[in-house]
Amino acid sequence: MTATSAATVDADRLVVRTAQRVLVGPLTFHVCPGTTVGLRGPSGSGKSTVLRALVGLLPAGLTVEGGLCVLGRRPAEAGRLSDLRAQAGLVGQSPVVFPGSVLDNALFGLRHVVRAPRACLRERAVNALEEAGLWAEVADRLDSPAAQLSVGQRQRLCLARALALDPALLLLDEPTSALDAGSREVVEASVASLRGRRTVLLVSHDADQIARLCDAVVDLAQPAWDIAGSAATRS
Amino acid sequence: MTTGLLHGASPVVGVTRRPRSPRWVPGLTAGGGVLSVLAGLFVVGFVLAGLAAGDVDWRILLSTSTWDAPNDAYGVTAMLWGTAVVSVIALCLAVPVGWAAATALHEQLPPRLARPLRSGVELLAAVPSIVYGLVGIAVVRPFVSTVGNVPGGDSLLAAGLVLAVMVLPTIVAVSVDALAAVPDSAREAAAALGLTRREVIRSAVLPLAGPGMRAAVLLGLARALGETIAVFLVIGRADGRLPDPASALSSLLSPGQTLTTKLGGPEPVLAGAVGSHRAALSAVALLLLLCVGGATLASSRRSGARPARRTPYAGRFRLAHDRTATALRTAAVVLPLLLLAGIAVLAITRGSAALSPSFWLEDAVGASGGGVRGQILGTTLLVIAAGIVTLPLGLGLGLLIGEYAGPRTRRVLHTATLTLGGVPTIVLGLAGYAFFSTALGWGKSWLAGALLLAVVATPVVALTTAARLDQLASVHREAALALGLTRSQLVRAVLLPHARPALLTGLLLGLARAAGETAPLLFTATVFAGATALPLGVVQAPVQSLPTHVFALAQDAADPAALAAAWGAGVVLVVLAGLLLLAAVPARRRMTATA
Repeated sequence: MTATSAATVDADRLVVRTAQRVLVGPLTFHVCPGTTVGLRGPSGSGKSTVLRALVGLLPAGLTVEGGLCVLGRRPAEAGRLSDLRAQAGLVGQSPVVFPGSVLDNALFGLRHVVRAPRACLRERAVNALEEAGLWAEVADRLDSPAAQLSVGQRQRLCLARALALDPALLLLDEPTSALDAGSREVVEASVASLRGRRTVLLVSHDADQIARLCDAVVDLAQPAWDIAGSAATRS
Repeated sequence: MTTGLLHGASPVVGVTRRPRSPRWVPGLTAGGGVLSVLAGLFVVGFVLAGLAAGDVDWRILLSTSTWDAPNDAYGVTAMLWGTAVVSVIALCLAVPVGWAAATALHEQLPPRLARPLRSGVELLAAVPSIVYGLVGIAVVRPFVSTVGNVPGGDSLLAAGLVLAVMVLPTIVAVSVDALAAVPDSAREAAAALGLTRREVIRSAVLPLAGPGMRAAVLLGLARALGETIAVFLVIGRADGRLPDPASALSSLLSPGQTLTTKLGGPEPVLAGAVGSHRAALSAVALLLLLCVGGATLASSRRSGARPARRTPYAGRFRLAHDRTATALRTAAVVLPLLLLAGIAVLAITRGSAALSPSFWLEDAVGASGGGVRGQILGTTLLVIAAGIVTLPLGLGLGLLIGEYAGPRTRRVLHTATLTLGGVPTIVLGLAGYAFFSTALGWGKSWLAGALLLAVVATPVVALTTAARLDQLASVHREAALALGLTRSQLVRAVLLPHARPALLTGLLLGLARAAGETAPLLFTATVFAGATALPLGVVQAPVQSLPTHVFALAQDAADPAALAAAWGAGVVLVVLAGLLLLAAVPARRRMTATA
């Protein structure tokens, strides 16, 4: 399927379901380039599931129905999901660092996805660390183990790791919910600094946070049944 | 901030600019899977081909006890009886001790003390079965002979006693794992209600650990059913001994035969078996496979946790009961350690020949003289060659189970691998004889032996690797995939580094087990004397090996010189296997540190 929309993400009556029941949707929304869109809803409403559906990372047994177009492609039909994922960086709820140094982690995706001289990759990694607001804190300890960073620093390292790939879309899954209050502020500041320069889909259960950071909101608690139509026949 | 680009424009990562995915990963995985399936088919195929070689009258086979090859009479009830009796004796002794020891190790003793004790129990598992056979000859046979007034002491009881010691470590290790899987919150909640330790264990821990601990018994049973060599040396191998019900108990003190010992030899008879004799032997192998496979399958099917049986309120004796239970459990830990110490003392006193360097450096002379240099070289060659084959196979199969397979395939593969690991090695040896020695015309060949040892070691490697991959939190896998890594890149960059210590541990443990194996080599790869130390070529290129050397000498139990030489070679074998285990310790420590 060719790109039919200028939107970075175009979900049209998107449904995620198991064989037995519907987990999310039908849901209709779009994310325009350069905007930050919030996806809000109570715990268990399937916010994270929607993000994973966008990049084909759903757990086994879940399927996607309805129209979904990410970066001009349908995830279900994307020739190589790994290419789509490289362009749509997903940052999870709690920071996941790989064994190795800070720099190893910042280079982790780049090394596998981009073929370029090492110096060039390193420059992109450093730029990403700057963009994530972490450079000042780690500039002198790039070679020390990433596991030694504080939890807030690790989360920004995960953000930098995704930014290093220069993603056309950034998917943030409750990036601050696993953090303490202090770290939350720092990470939120990093996310805020991306506003207007990156295309971001931010999942959060915190209405205030979404209000602070986002240009538009999709609310899963008040689903667009009326837009999508027959919810009853689906469930 | 430097990367001030606005996005949504062009695709950033083109396919052409990607570094190449490691191509060997899917190849290795598929190869490991296919070859392991072939190994399974190889065993089943051997049995089926044997059955097709002649007529088997299953009704007579399963209802008569006479085994008389010259007269074409084949009945297995006496062997089934023998197998059942030795297994029951072994389990009756090993299960209470094993469960109590496991409970003490995990619930009672401080970790600082429990860890070395547990390693001690695991060492019992690492003693090659041929050495247990020697212990049986040195201690258990004389014991039974005096107690039961049995000439020689060869009896079902002796076999059951030896097997009890052999299955004990399996039961302890698997039970401890089951106890370790019970969350601490269950203990805390029960203790917070004022229960004594005994009550906590009985009503909060055991109900949750129960399924795992019952699986431990079944795995122990599988081990007991499949063991050949140690039983072979102490059971007397008398055919057709099916007692009438009245004398069932006294028959424990007379010689008998099990399914495995029937397949164990003597070699010329097995090698010459054709027609209905071969078919009957294959039927015995099939029965054995069914028993062992059934026990293994049953152990991997976890039943749900049962609620605790009501513990009667013990009133003012609560604390006294608690103390008694504690003392009993502690005693249960001490028993296996005493056994280990006893075996060590026995080995050093009887095998004093091995203390002299010349025993290691000289070739064997005559029937029982000289050293074991040729045997050491042969065993080393077999183990190294087996290791070279096992590493890629085990890794591929482990990746297939731990990462590539979907949930259902994964369950099937896991059970199949477990079953392959439980195939009695004597069946493996016979299958190898039929395939490599006869069908391929290799005769006795070191390569055949090494390949069969690889079949022994591969399931160990695959299962440890897959279990380690299971421990990797799914968020790590997701984080790597979300960055755009392909499956192969994920394996190369995340899974392999994570699995490396398990791979190494599994390889060393598997090879330690393979090094002590006798049964697969007897018919396929080794000779007692007359082989060059390191063979040239494959066809008709036998080696000498330590376990088969000990086995040959031990059958001449009446000759003290032969027994002394057997003990000496046994000690050398234990030392070599022990070195492999020791090498695994650092890797294991790293694994638990990062788990």
